[in-house]
Amino acid sequence: MIDSASPIVPETKTGSPEEPAQNKAPWRLALVLAFAALAGGILLTGVSVWFLGAVALAGLTPAALTFNFHVPAAFIRLFALTRTAAKYGERVVGHRAALTDQVLRRSTLFAAMASAPSVRKAGWQLGNQDRLADYLDDVEDVDYARLRVSLPSATLGIAIVLLVAATLWITPLAFVPILLLITANMVGARFLAKRATADLAAARESRQEASRLLGTAIQAVVPLQAERRWSPTLDEPFDGYANAQTRALVLRHWQALLDMLANSLAPCAMLSILVSAWLSGLRGEALLPPALLAFAWLATAEPVLGASKIVVAFVREKTARSALAQWNTPDGVTHKHVAERISSLTLDRLPRHAPDGRLIGKPISTTLKAGRPTVLHGASGCGKTSLLKQIAGWLDASDECVLGDGVELSVDARRAMICFCAHDATVLADTVRENLFAPHASDDELWRALDAVELQGRIRAAGGLDGWITQDVLSLGEAQRLNLARAWLSDRPVVLLDEPAEHLAVEQGKRILDALLQRLRQRIVILSSHDDLIPKGATAVRLQG
Amino acid sequence: MLKAILHRRDQRPTEANPPEAANPEARTRGRTLCVAHGLAAPGLRSTLALQAARAVLRLAFIGLAAMFVGELISGRANWPLLGAALASLILGSVIGLVADRAVANTEMKVANGLLEAARGALAAASTGDIQAMPLGTLIAGLQRYPQALAGLAVGHRLASIMLGLGPLLAATAIMVISWEAALALIVLTPVMIVFFVLIGGAIRSGAEAQEKAFGRLAAQFADRIRTLPTILGNHALTGERRKLGARLDTYASATMSVLRIAFLNTGIIDFFSSLSIAILAVFLGLGHLKLVSVPGFADLQLWQSLFILMIAPEYFAPFRRYAEQYHAKAEGLAAATALDALVLGPRPQSPAFESAIATRDLVDAASPLPRTGLVAITGPSGSGKSTLLRHLAGIGSAPSIQPDADERPEIAWCSTDIYVPEGTLGAAIAWGNASYCQTRLLPAAGTVGLLDEVLLPGGLDALIKAGGENLSGGQRLRIGLARALISGRAIFADEPTAKLDPANAAMVRHALVEAARSRLVLVATHDRNLALLAGTTIDLGVGNRQARERAA
Repeated sequence: MIDSASPIVPETKTGSPEEPAQNKAPWRLALVLAFAALAGGILLTGVSVWFLGAVALAGLTPAALTFNFHVPAAFIRLFALTRTAAKYGERVVGHRAALTDQVLRRSTLFAAMASAPSVRKAGWQLGNQDRLADYLDDVEDVDYARLRVSLPSATLGIAIVLLVAATLWITPLAFVPILLLITANMVGARFLAKRATADLAAARESRQEASRLLGTAIQAVVPLQAERRWSPTLDEPFDGYANAQTRALVLRHWQALLDMLANSLAPCAMLSILVSAWLSGLRGEALLPPALLAFAWLATAEPVLGASKIVVAFVREKTARSALAQWNTPDGVTHKHVAERISSLTLDRLPRHAPDGRLIGKPISTTLKAGRPTVLHGASGCGKTSLLKQIAGWLDASDECVLGDGVELSVDARRAMICFCAHDATVLADTVRENLFAPHASDDELWRALDAVELQGRIRAAGGLDGWITQDVLSLGEAQRLNLARAWLSDRPVVLLDEPAEHLAVEQGKRILDALLQRLRQRIVILSSHDDLIPKGATAVRLQG
Repeated sequence: MLKAILHRRDQRPTEANPPEAANPEARTRGRTLCVAHGLAAPGLRSTLALQAARAVLRLAFIGLAAMFVGELISGRANWPLLGAALASLILGSVIGLVADRAVANTEMKVANGLLEAARGALAAASTGDIQAMPLGTLIAGLQRYPQALAGLAVGHRLASIMLGLGPLLAATAIMVISWEAALALIVLTPVMIVFFVLIGGAIRSGAEAQEKAFGRLAAQFADRIRTLPTILGNHALTGERRKLGARLDTYASATMSVLRIAFLNTGIIDFFSSLSIAILAVFLGLGHLKLVSVPGFADLQLWQSLFILMIAPEYFAPFRRYAEQYHAKAEGLAAATALDALVLGPRPQSPAFESAIATRDLVDAASPLPRTGLVAITGPSGSGKSTLLRHLAGIGSAPSIQPDADERPEIAWCSTDIYVPEGTLGAAIAWGNASYCQTRLLPAAGTVGLLDEVLLPGGLDALIKAGGENLSGGQRLRIGLARALISGRAIFADEPTAKLDPANAAMVRHALVEAARSRLVLVATHDRNLALLAGTTIDLGVGNRQARERAA
């Protein structure tokens, strides 16, 4: 489809600057193979028809006995094999190139995501399964764009240009209707691209809106059911989903229209070549080259079938790129910093910020010493987590407000020296060992950590240190204890624990916390708690909202 | 009033259980899949007819075009034939358009029907079941699975029917010219199928061997993105990045080795379709040269041999289309399984069911509840305060039986997890009460201290973000309380003072006591100050023990 090729090729080259160096050679090979496959198919049909025509004409004369059919027959077999082998090669090489790119891109993307400020700020949005699924769709749309858009459109573009050239040479008259058809297809493709942009965006928006509403409703299921408002509250989100489906349907209707246009290109080209050859007075043998060309055109019908898919994949890629671009704004913080040992941490009139930037309460001034844990108390919403994140260098806090042993600490320095145990810590789909993030610890040490958080039995049952665990395998309480084991193993001078006793039974929480604080007795430890938990030897600080 | 509800609940075990137990097999067969096929059935027949018509017209065009060309080369321009070819092309295109649209329409009907079924299942599910659902997975699934299933129930189904019909049509068309040629194609088919079976087996065994490690690797990127903050908090970025790179590499090469075999599938079809052209061209050519005289391939007109040559690839096209649908099938089946597990399938008996029986005695002890006054449910944490409150509200976590709405008390629920719509504070308080007027909202918001809230500036016009994410638990609770005060209904409050600072807690206690003058206010609380203000107290520390004794 030349129409889809022309708008696409220049734009796919302008990737974001962070794009890793793509492996060019496999793609070139894939393009060559793709073209060989298409050419093989075109020639197979064209030459077969020419051959039949030639022998049929020869068969009527004595020339039949001297007709050398071996050469064309060999060519026909060659084309058949080329088409099959090249097609297979194209698929394998193309997919391998796409997968190699994917590995490169995803590694780079992961690093870019890690330096995006939003990871550290408020709740991690991609921690939500539905947001994550959208994100992954975007990543995949970009990953496979070359395979779905560039490769087929380039191949088809080259083939059509060659066929047009041959048409101009053999039957120039036929070029007029072909040109008209190609123009119509191009206009159709452009129109579809515009529609697809609008429809995909609208469908995505109403899907996301519906998901937000449904999420809100499900989280409020108890009040809603008690008040008998559950069922009506579901109406709006499900209407949103239905609306998204309708937009998708509209797009498919437009796709069908372009497909119809594209499908008529090859047959019409074929008929117009034959008719114009006849009208320009060619007869008998002289008609054979136009017949070859005509059937060559007909052989492009199959690849042209995917025209509307190429256009939609192209639009999806563009949308996905811009959606992914929002993550690619690194916060300018370098992560290389040696963790220094400090024995006191001073907060000097630190203005307290919420994640959205507004101020909470009065600025805080306090000095935290190693060996004397500090508990932050306060009602929900008074900014305990935000203060921890400010100290950790995850939320804005100017350097002069946080001092280590009396020296100003930069954001980098704080990030390097602080182990931050968030209250919504997650479990990686990996082995227990990898989940403990202590590559240098011995097995013995790891088991002691698990023992301290009362997970030893559970982990033994799950297959030991090399057993594979996932988020779903562990209960909330078990995940929380695993998280505390990470803190137990941490070698950083400052350890921040956000709601360490959450999801734990009161007694167990106390026991584990005591053991943990005993282990961390040389370090600066700050923990937050919404109830009035005060471990042994800890100082309490009450935060006001 | 409450007694009547409880009586109904008493009957539940005998009434609701036997039917569930009676037909477990029908349910395990995949309810979602049955629903999807049921939804697809009405549209499928007409869609299939359209597709068949398109296939016939396509064959007609190719055949007529071959005849036209054959005669043209032989020296005769048969214009009516050209007209007929063009007519079948145009008609075929139009029918193709209609058919494509019909497929899209049917698929949407299936997807929407599935969504509607999911909606119904959600609406009917009990509180406990809904809370047990993995929220993110459910939402992500509702966005994607219905479409995937529609693809299986319509697109894939049509392709598999056309797999039977398409080659038959092509063979019939060729048979008109030369039954020997048609026979040759049909004989080729079992050979191709043997290849299919061989390779299909190879793919399956290859995939099964790799599946375990493969499944783990497949989700590594998604998993690392999901867990990024934890990785950062524990300084594990460098290690994780290296590991991710290595695992993606392994995944990519494992995928390639599966794909290499999987592509053989389409490769075989390509091979046979190319080969058929090559063989037919040579045989037909030799026939024209009168060098061989294979019956059915000799003494043919040029248009006849062109006809056979051009129709032959059409014989194989449906096979390829079907093979290309293989991932649609896999995706659809996975979606069906997932939707079954999420919403539509049968649900295992809730373990809360037994505790519900124990709670029933407590409910008996609690009723009848007074029409007005403050009633407090107290007890140590974990003693079932909230559970009892839910049971009294008629939403026990055991399998749902819905007593008649008119027998239930009109309740306003007040807790930190109330529904807060996006918009303004005023709208959030007025939500669900049709009469939205400032004169009623202002005093209610004032009573619970929401108007002079520093953290929520702007009074009734204060902005509330989607999902109420800029609200603290205490603010949500107070919005719920203001809403409950306006509604005039009985107030059921779950730990209304737990997440509040002392000043706000006092304000809420006061508001609850005031409200209790004119209606029932039932609170589950461990706040001693609140319990002291109650006219009646249900102490679960005692109640539970009694219940256990009675059960023994």
